[in-house]
Amino acid sequence: MDATEVELFERSVRQAAADHTAEALDRALTDLGWPDALSDDPYTAVSILFPVQGAANATSSALDQVVATGLGMGPRTTEAVVLPRLGMSAVPGVAGDDGVSVDGLGTRASTRAETAVVAARGDAGQTFFSVAVADLRLEPVRGMDPELGLVRVTADGVAPGSRTEPSARAWPTTVVLARLGVSYEMLGAARAMLALAREHALERIQYGGPISRFQAVRHRLADTLVAIEGAEAAVNAARSARSPELATVAKALAGGRALTAASHCQQVLAGIGFTAEHSFHRYFRRILVLDQLFGSAHALTAELGEELLRSRALPDLLPLEDPVAMSAPR
Amino acid sequence: MDLATFRKGLDDWLDEHGRELAPEHDGLGTLDERMVQLAKVKRRSFDAGWMRWGWPERVGGLGGSPILRAYLGEALTARELVEPDVYSMTEVLAPTMIDFAAPELAAEMVPRLLRGDEIWCQGFSEPGTGSNLASLACRAIRADGGWRVTGQKVWTSYAQYASHCVLLTRTGSLESAHRGITALFVDMDSAGITVRPLRTMHGSDEFSEVFFDDVAVPFDRTLGEVDQGWAVAMDLLPYERSTSLWHRCAYLQRRLERLLESVPSGALGAAEVGEVAQLLIALRARSRDTQYRMAGGEQLGAETSIDKVLLSTAEQAVMDLAARGLAPEVLVGEDAASERWRAEYLYSRAASIYGGTTEIQRNIIARRLLDLGDDR
Repeated sequence: MDATEVELFERSVRQAAADHTAEALDRALTDLGWPDALSDDPYTAVSILFPVQGAANATSSALDQVVATGLGMGPRTTEAVVLPRLGMSAVPGVAGDDGVSVDGLGTRASTRAETAVVAARGDAGQTFFSVAVADLRLEPVRGMDPELGLVRVTADGVAPGSRTEPSARAWPTTVVLARLGVSYEMLGAARAMLALAREHALERIQYGGPISRFQAVRHRLADTLVAIEGAEAAVNAARSARSPELATVAKALAGGRALTAASHCQQVLAGIGFTAEHSFHRYFRRILVLDQLFGSAHALTAELGEELLRSRALPDLLPLEDPVAMSAPR
Repeated sequence: MDLATFRKGLDDWLDEHGRELAPEHDGLGTLDERMVQLAKVKRRSFDAGWMRWGWPERVGGLGGSPILRAYLGEALTARELVEPDVYSMTEVLAPTMIDFAAPELAAEMVPRLLRGDEIWCQGFSEPGTGSNLASLACRAIRADGGWRVTGQKVWTSYAQYASHCVLLTRTGSLESAHRGITALFVDMDSAGITVRPLRTMHGSDEFSEVFFDDVAVPFDRTLGEVDQGWAVAMDLLPYERSTSLWHRCAYLQRRLERLLESVPSGALGAAEVGEVAQLLIALRARSRDTQYRMAGGEQLGAETSIDKVLLSTAEQAVMDLAARGLAPEVLVGEDAASERWRAEYLYSRAASIYGGTTEIQRNIIARRLLDLGDDR
């Protein structure tokens, strides 16, 4: 996609996302050729859609499609995908003699699909199964973010339909793509929170003028932008490098900094931001849950630290050479 | 010359000449020793061509992208051949000369800086002018044959070593603020200049007070237009937050690596180590984007304040981590390595102060990037 097409795509997604139904957004994504874009260049496609989805607080089956693409199956518009449990990045299934056991999460798409893809580990390594959704137990997860529409997906010894023997790289690639997608979504949400807080600071009059003139308020908003920009640079670098190590760091940064942004923005929004009618809480709820998908900031940070203390070395994850930046300075 | 070729050639050259390029002192060394080392490394790198890449041919360079300079500074810093603070002065002052000095003056002077023949300094801050740079009072008056400069500067890095100074002077009324400032290129051996080094809390004399008593400066040493010195300052400051910052980032990465090599098992927790590494990666990713924007010809501006806040945060976090992980060394160690950690830890306290405090950077971000309007 060139710049004009990207802009058109973003505008259309924003419009569809404003409807607040996942079905509307899914239809729009298909009409706009998102699944094709995902097949052609998943890294770019992820970086275009998810910031918009996050900023609109929208839901769709995009993450299902990203995972299916990572697994090498291409985007599936009619089949759902079972995601790892909260906080986890390992495959959600275990394959045994008596079928496939599943303990994972589904997006809203799993309630509409007839079949779902389950990545499972077994004696012979990883295998991907297509199973009938009717054979799975689906329990809506309401919890912190009911509008996200997650469902808990479990099964003991379900009969696999078709099976695929994946390449050894399939699951790690899937995790990279999913982490990038979720990271971009959290950053989109963080930017939306910043926009809400900024607007409030300019409009809220106290002591005879807008509160945006107070340094305490300005500095919180400035720190929010610093947090977002630093994390976004890391996420973009992980995207252009397609590096699992960098994507892990980027996911931790995106989650951690989105939570920092939420804390600053909520303080600036003060009373109005604490009401259910203001949209702040929807973004806050969303990032709290997204942070836990494919590894939380907290867990991934500790994981990185353990590795550094063990190896006593600091790998250079970010060489000055960057193929994407070199061809297209932005 | 593309970056990959440059990198390969430079790395090979540094591998081959590492021994003779290495400092003769242990640890951080005295300021005198660091200056000797800097001159040696710059001279050899210039003669071998590496220091000339990325600079225009009209000032003694070989052309090519500024990205090459970013890598040179990174490589020299990562191999502990130069300290980034003294080395990076070139990255701040040479672009200013190229952009604002008369072409003959730039052609004469810049090669001396690149080759390591000379150290230059930057006379911006004054006793009454810290964050509010536009209030500066060091006066330049027109006289026969040139300017006469009278006033005082402070926090002038390496002034006692400098042969020249990029000096901001007041040429309009004090009320003219940023509209009445003129930048001059001053010979530091001019009659009437007194340099008094300041001892800092980390034990180095790197800053000085500089006194100007009716100092004569020829008109052809004016940088940019008369009364337009603010443009020179605004052009220079983003350079402090671009190539120089990439070099500093390479230095912090090297120091974190040294910490990981030497920290006793169990002295640091996984979460704190992971957090600091992530701060560095975010900084490096952000700064790399800035390098490519600069290389692409973009005018850098207020957005580099974000880079500076990320740097201050990362630098203090790395050194806080070192102070926790190597507490006995940092607090009571007497060997060169311990003294180095101690000085670096103390110096890192200034990271949120020099080059515009973190508060000033946030003010810039709030006004210019978030468009929050006036703060009063």
